[in-house]
Amino acid sequence: MKKTYLASLLILAVASGAAQADRLDDIKKAGVLRVAAFDSNPPFGFVDAKTKRIVGLDVDYAQELAKKLNVKLELVPTNPANRIPLLTANKVDVVLANFTITEERAKQVNFSIPYFASGQQFLAKKGTLSSPDQLGKLRIGVDKGTTNEIVLREKYPSATLVAYDDTPFAFTALRNGNVQAITQDGPKLVGLLANVPDKEKYEIPPFSISDDLIGAGIPKGEARLTAFVSETLVELEANGRAQQIYDAWFGPNSKTPLKRIFRIGDGKK
Amino acid sequence: MFGEPLAGKYLAWLFEGFGVTLALSALTCVVATALGFALCLGRIARPIWVAWPLRAWLSVFRNTPLLVQLFFWYFGATFFFPDALREWLNAPHAWRLGVFGIDWPPFEYVAGFVGLTLYTAAFVAEEFRAGVLAVPPGQTVTARALGMTRLQAWRHVLMPQAVRIALPPLLGQYMNAVKNSSMTMAIGLAELSYASRQVETETFKTFQAFGIATLLYVAVVVAIEFAGEWLRRRDARARGGR
Repeated sequence: MKKTYLASLLILAVASGAAQADRLDDIKKAGVLRVAAFDSNPPFGFVDAKTKRIVGLDVDYAQELAKKLNVKLELVPTNPANRIPLLTANKVDVVLANFTITEERAKQVNFSIPYFASGQQFLAKKGTLSSPDQLGKLRIGVDKGTTNEIVLREKYPSATLVAYDDTPFAFTALRNGNVQAITQDGPKLVGLLANVPDKEKYEIPPFSISDDLIGAGIPKGEARLTAFVSETLVELEANGRAQQIYDAWFGPNSKTPLKRIFRIGDGKK
Repeated sequence: MFGEPLAGKYLAWLFEGFGVTLALSALTCVVATALGFALCLGRIARPIWVAWPLRAWLSVFRNTPLLVQLFFWYFGATFFFPDALREWLNAPHAWRLGVFGIDWPPFEYVAGFVGLTLYTAAFVAEEFRAGVLAVPPGQTVTARALGMTRLQAWRHVLMPQAVRIALPPLLGQYMNAVKNSSMTMAIGLAELSYASRQVETETFKTFQAFGIATLLYVAVVVAIEFAGEWLRRRDARARGGR
């Protein structure tokens, strides 16, 4: 009698363990790591013209994660606004899409330690914008569902914001004169400007209105997966791979040279 | 179950967006009806140099996605404008006539209105045409035989019947116009869908933000439905009373 009682307890424990599924185990079992990445935000995630595949800095990190888990990598293209819904709806395991860490977002998803840092900057036609004081009087294009939109509205409530689905749309609006400036993280603007045919007409004024830390987004409560991603990031910095990835996209010989000022593990809370 | 309610500020955003949706769809419906009627007259006109170009026009607007058309008007069309016109379209300015004044809306509103109206007008034109074609030809012939002029036959015999037939599908087009106005969020027009997305971004209260937007859309569509029912009853009473 006692034995059956114990056995049923054991079955219950196993069953509840299964119900409280651990994503890290699920990924290993499935043999596939699903990562959401941008498909039109060079150099973080964009479609390579030759290979027609999504490549970029975020994708390189995704590949390192998959390599360490010894599973296949499946990339899911996303836009900024869909990043949290993809995680909460269990459509992806990790979001690596230039995902700025914020307190509000941290209520909805887990974040790894930051692997990149950038500030919110502006892109405008030459001569139209030189100091943050002017922002309040301008029409500014933002990407829907980004922290850039929220920060700008809080700091410069008198500016007129127009939200677009994607940075390329915002840039077209700037080009057409619908808005006088667009805002994004500095590295993204550098990447955007590198591909513009008439780039001499535009500039990125040398000021930023925020300092953002970028981390990997992970479904809420997946502590083991979060720890795994953070540990892997630290390892990549220690063995020099993080520097290699950075240099590939922002190094002096890249299309978008930008000095590396942030290292994984900096500013740890 | 539904989580906390939205803060007042966010509700205000949603209702502001709702106001824009209402104004945009109302204006679209009015202008598209007038334009659609004119297009219908041209489309059924005898001379082929009027009818055929219009046939092509209607088919272009009916057979391409609204989203593409909106992108065209907002991002594409301005490309062909001279710089001065483009600047004028984007610059804020106002017309003043005594105490009355109209502020030139931001270009998103102009492009959204133009795109949505031309799209809706093409469908309205075809609904009108279907109404006209559905009236038996004998009606006009008889009216003419009774001594009515061609215009009188149109005005007093054909049109009342055609409009009666076209009304239900026409109301359907108005409902579509309300729903289609949500597409203008893609070109940055701050209507209801845009506002709900914005509220969702800031509060993460996905269900509340989109739930309220859904209810508001349903409310407008139901209101149109009731208006149609009321019109139908009034018409039936008027005919029965004769």
